[in-house]
Amino acid sequence: MKIDTGNFVRNAKLEMQNQYARTFLSLLPPYIAARRVKVMGSFPDPAAAQELSRAIRAEAVARMPDLLEEFEKNAIAAGARVLWARNAAEANEMILSIARERNVTMVTKGKSMISEETGLNDALAREGIEPFETDLGEFIAQQLGRPPFHIVGPAINVPVEEVCDLFMKKAGMQEETTDPVELGYAARLFLRDKFRRARLGITGVNMAVADTGAIINVENEGNIRFNKSSPRTQVSVMSPEKVVPTTTDALHLLRVLCRNCTGQSISAYVSIDRGPREPAEIDGPEELFIIIVDNGRSRLYHDPKLREALRCIRCGACLNLCPVYAKIGGYPYGWAYSGPMGQVLNPALLGLEETGDLFKACTLCGTCREVCPAGIDHPAIFLHYRALEVKRKRRSSGRWEAILFGVWGTAAAHSAVWRFLYRLARPVLAVFGKKGKIEAMPGPFAGWFGARDLPVPARRTFRDQWRESLSKQGGAS
Amino acid sequence: MGPVSLFIPCTVDFMMPRVGVATVRLLRRLGIEPRYHEQQTCCGQPAMNAGYLDRARKAAKHFIDVFGDDDVIVSPSGSCTAMVKYHYPELLGGEPSWRRRAEDLSERVFELSQYLVDVLGIEDGGGVFDGTVTYHESCQILRRLGVSRQPKALIEQTRGTTFVPMEQADTCCGFGGEFSYRYAFISEEMVRDKIGHYLDSGADLLVVSEPGCLLNIAGYLSRNNPEKRALHLVEFLAGPETDENT
Repeated sequence: MKIDTGNFVRNAKLEMQNQYARTFLSLLPPYIAARRVKVMGSFPDPAAAQELSRAIRAEAVARMPDLLEEFEKNAIAAGARVLWARNAAEANEMILSIARERNVTMVTKGKSMISEETGLNDALAREGIEPFETDLGEFIAQQLGRPPFHIVGPAINVPVEEVCDLFMKKAGMQEETTDPVELGYAARLFLRDKFRRARLGITGVNMAVADTGAIINVENEGNIRFNKSSPRTQVSVMSPEKVVPTTTDALHLLRVLCRNCTGQSISAYVSIDRGPREPAEIDGPEELFIIIVDNGRSRLYHDPKLREALRCIRCGACLNLCPVYAKIGGYPYGWAYSGPMGQVLNPALLGLEETGDLFKACTLCGTCREVCPAGIDHPAIFLHYRALEVKRKRRSSGRWEAILFGVWGTAAAHSAVWRFLYRLARPVLAVFGKKGKIEAMPGPFAGWFGARDLPVPARRTFRDQWRESLSKQGGAS
Repeated sequence: MGPVSLFIPCTVDFMMPRVGVATVRLLRRLGIEPRYHEQQTCCGQPAMNAGYLDRARKAAKHFIDVFGDDDVIVSPSGSCTAMVKYHYPELLGGEPSWRRRAEDLSERVFELSQYLVDVLGIEDGGGVFDGTVTYHESCQILRRLGVSRQPKALIEQTRGTTFVPMEQADTCCGFGGEFSYRYAFISEEMVRDKIGHYLDSGADLLVVSEPGCLLNIAGYLSRNNPEKRALHLVEFLAGPETDENT
């Protein structure tokens, strides 16, 4: 998919003018937060449940290489074929050749973030193979030609009127309606036909269980189950960090995932499948391919600071509660992943050059860290990226910021210099002051004054007042 | 326990000295005579958040040198407290002797309300305020220090005061240091929401315990709702005196 992380500011400003999205975003966080808290309350000890899932993810990621080998062995034993792709291009080529060998001209797809990441749909379309997203939200986003607005609800921001127009044009809907049930039914009719004819189904993976070789998918619509049971050939695409040690671990993560994701104690469908259909079974694919796409994960695994990013289970809780996401929505993050998890993953996978805004457009409020069931410290990772960027930029140019912090560092370590510089800077700043406040100022801080004033820096600082009078008023000392 | 050492953040020192003065006044009223090291500068938080770790380390080492032996260090800022308490040991992780000093210091730094309520067991600051008051839960105070009950207890114990809740009190106000001017178009929307919840609460006064949030919130009020006020917790507790601001 197109990478547009470099236009974060432009896209964010654009989205903030979208009145519908604004209203929707103002309603989502309080609603989902309340729902999440309520359903987390069904754990005897919610904090302990959260701690356990964090521990499971930490262990799974630490043991990732071994667990992947164990998973591969058990998946092969169950009859699956396991392929390893180093990058997006290799993964797409594997899927294309599977499709070509079987003379497939269309595929159905379950929602898969890794296939968003690899741009699979475009790769298929270029080869004349028509991909149909079958998750309702993903189907809408695909037909609109837009990236996912939210990793869990890709088209959650699209008004029903727009969905109606879209379905009239592209999904064979006969009569106009804005009734969500009718719209859902129209999509169902359209997609059922695709399922009936599809000979290749492609899905993502929520968890790959190492000690059994099973794949777990979590969904609310049943379309993934269709993809896994109806077509003759099925491809499960996964990134390596989806692997978990045992079924017991997976079941706990499942409980935590659903609660954090949609505020459900369990999703409507959970599919746990091991290998292709066996002779006695009534459905399932005749052949199953599992493609493990590295696409930068090995590099993250070997980076002591960034390995933590691999813990993410894509629940979306951090998006739902992020106060910045709540203002700008998912598009400005410019790639497959949005919100705090996207601010962690997109720079990690794409590099820091074009993703600078992602790790800077954050107040470090820590809500994401607090809510994360995988134990990711997002703000710490943002600070790490910022430090890396400074290191890189410092070598190439003497930007005003680098100069400023250079002087600042010297001053902070020498109180006389610190005081002296304040004495120099204060009158300059005070020039912009009127009646004790500054209402506008040119330069790097200009943005502050769009909606806010600032006090004029004090003529007598606290330290001045302490020296002159405060210290002498004390009784006891 | 030795004397209480004041850790006055640079935002307070330069932009809101009245908050520092109120801190002294409140402590004295409670029978605590504070000391103040005049050599203190900045804890280094802005440099760390901007990615200038070597500069932040310089500030951290200076801080440790200045405050190193104090038994109790108290600050009217949660983010500066968190910087010293949690980030210093990590920041200086590569230098074992400095890291040890940072870890040792970490135990002795407190946010003001945390110190009053948790350490001294004081919930009555002896202040008076006739009216209703609501409270903004600053991010670092709430989520980094786990402090939320303490400032509210101090507000509730103030004579004449009724505490009223505010919607989304624990949502970020949009300050975030450089975020506030670099991404002003987002930051403004966040602080607008915060003020909206304050107005909806019907409270006469919004109390904030974090200087950064206070600059943001009071700055927005000054421009858009000059009839409404926001105060630092310590100003609220100490009560009005003479105008010491400039």
